[in-house]
Amino acid sequence: MISDRVKASLKREFYQSRAAQVGLALVVVIILTAVFAPMVAPHDPNTQRVGTGDAEDRSDLPPLSPIPGYEFTGVSEQTEVDPETGEFETVTVERPADRSYPLGTNGRGQDILSRLIYGARVSMLVGLLGAGLAALVGVPYGLVAGYIGGRLDDGLMRAADVMLAFPSLVLAIALIGVFQDTGFHTTELPDPFVAAAQSDTVPNILIPRADHVATMPEATTFPVTVTMVVALVNWVWFARIARGEALSIRAEEYVTAARSLGASNLTILRKHVLPNAITPIIVLATIQVAFIILLEASLSFLGFSGTDLTWGADIQQGRNGLSSGRWWISTMPGLAIIAAVVGVNLLGDWLRDALDPGIQGESGGV
Amino acid sequence: MQYGRFLLRRVVHSLFVIWGAATVVFLLRFLTPGDPVTVLAPPDAGDEVRDALRQRLGLDEPVHVQYFEYITDLMVADFGKSMEVLDRSVLDWIFWTRFLRSVELAVSATLIAIAIAIPLGVISARRRHTVSDYGATLFSLGGISTPNFWLGLMLILLIAVPVGFIPTGTPGPLLHEAVGDLFAGDPGTLGDWLRFMFLPALTLGTYFTALITRLTRSGMLEEIGKAYVKASRAKGLPETLTMYRHVLRNTLIPIVTILGLQLGTLIGGAIITETVFEWNGLGQLLIERINARDWTMIQGIVIIIAIGFVSINTVVDLLYAYLDPRVIDE
Repeated sequence: MISDRVKASLKREFYQSRAAQVGLALVVVIILTAVFAPMVAPHDPNTQRVGTGDAEDRSDLPPLSPIPGYEFTGVSEQTEVDPETGEFETVTVERPADRSYPLGTNGRGQDILSRLIYGARVSMLVGLLGAGLAALVGVPYGLVAGYIGGRLDDGLMRAADVMLAFPSLVLAIALIGVFQDTGFHTTELPDPFVAAAQSDTVPNILIPRADHVATMPEATTFPVTVTMVVALVNWVWFARIARGEALSIRAEEYVTAARSLGASNLTILRKHVLPNAITPIIVLATIQVAFIILLEASLSFLGFSGTDLTWGADIQQGRNGLSSGRWWISTMPGLAIIAAVVGVNLLGDWLRDALDPGIQGESGGV
Repeated sequence: MQYGRFLLRRVVHSLFVIWGAATVVFLLRFLTPGDPVTVLAPPDAGDEVRDALRQRLGLDEPVHVQYFEYITDLMVADFGKSMEVLDRSVLDWIFWTRFLRSVELAVSATLIAIAIAIPLGVISARRRHTVSDYGATLFSLGGISTPNFWLGLMLILLIAVPVGFIPTGTPGPLLHEAVGDLFAGDPGTLGDWLRFMFLPALTLGTYFTALITRLTRSGMLEEIGKAYVKASRAKGLPETLTMYRHVLRNTLIPIVTILGLQLGTLIGGAIITETVFEWNGLGQLLIERINARDWTMIQGIVIIIAIGFVSINTVVDLLYAYLDPRVIDE
């Protein structure tokens, strides 16, 4: 489906553009961390260390400072019993940074770095699956509308226009409202690495840090409802692009030739229209992944996600700390979101510059 | 095709889209699992109370009758009554204050964006491959990649907390109140308005600033390569005149259409910015009503947003076709 000319163009653009290299590096690193999260993450992201029982209180630890000599200190309020009067009183305790929690901990004593690493799983999965699902619905819809044309095209595209009457976040929130009383539908995806490290099916020597991996969470909560909602909100864009392409492709001579040879409409759509329409669809899909990552973050920030192990939910959780000096809890997940979205956007710019000969070599535009 | 016919077609189309949107919203309520009466009635309510409630909400009618009543009510701008607080109409005065607040926020954000982005885009395109160009490009990449709720929190952290004024909680004055007070000789209210508006508008405007900068830059670069620029340079026209009179003007026309389509992002962004700053607008109301499962209010808010969005897009399209009649034939 991808011709040699396109491959050469991708390669040339990649070598010339520093931005494309940075984008690819960012995306690859984030996807690898997401996949190998149990090996990379230093702690279990869900373990709370608030000082109950024998466990030590590790809440509200600040991150390590990048500049030696300027250490961050965290402040946390604790209720203690005065030994003389026997009354409860609030004491503020200063907390120094701790090497084993490089990005600090939140109010529940959960390790922020580990939460970022596991949050990447949800963001990337929702981004990729959401965009894929949207394309799966939108592309056939648009191709059929554009290829058949006439009344059918009018009807289908009018219906699609109705979807565009809603701003995407508004529609997403309204759809969430529909699903919320069923309980947010989430599913537990078992972690193959943890399962392998806990059993003896694979020799543990083959798994890096097997002892550590065996203690990590056995499953990741995946928000099914949110993925469906973001796909429902965004399929129209795929339909519009696919329709436009099909509309111009159906007038090509090779389509007429195929038809006169007796090829069925389905065959023509599959063998001729889709392959020739695929480049703009791929470029759109990349932009959509970035957009969906942001949308998912917004929805989980608003508490509509169904799982709290996401970047957006962590930002919400750290919100109260902003005015009391605990700035890192909200700041870190935001930086992670920016890294992911910048990476995907740069990748999209590269694909567009390389695949679209009309604007070749110019890295501007949207 | 003549402009009159184009206008008629465009308006009919947008009316159709609004009708479709209203239908979608109506259907959403029927997809929602669970009986609203169960949610609203007190847990110990008997069958009589439930039936009375059902009748009052109009839920005892068959679906097509409900739909017909719903659409005919919409035509006379009757959005029904809140399901939770039964005697409060969806369109009462609180609603309009909130609507105004959201509009003020969105308009301020757009104005900030235009004021920053267009000069930035022009500079970036004219001094291509210089430090200022790279700076502007980097800024616009960051701007379209930053979640705006996070940006809002960071502005609170870095500006509002040190200054000691966080524009949340008590809502600031509305613009018409501020202007009224100004004419009455009290500029203080306008100062308050600015103080409350500054950070939220900056938060909401950043995405748009980044987007317009990007569009202006690439549009300018495309235009600069065209023959008429060479011609106007050759006849000795001052460079500034060429740039602003001709190149920028030609660049801006397509940008306006894209901005119309991107308006949805602005409205969505407004919802989440309102949550961050506890801005008492339509977006916060929507979130609140979703959590209260107040479907008539949700329907009303979503439809009003859709109507606003579609109307602005229609006006933008009509303006565009007026400025550049070539699109009418496409």
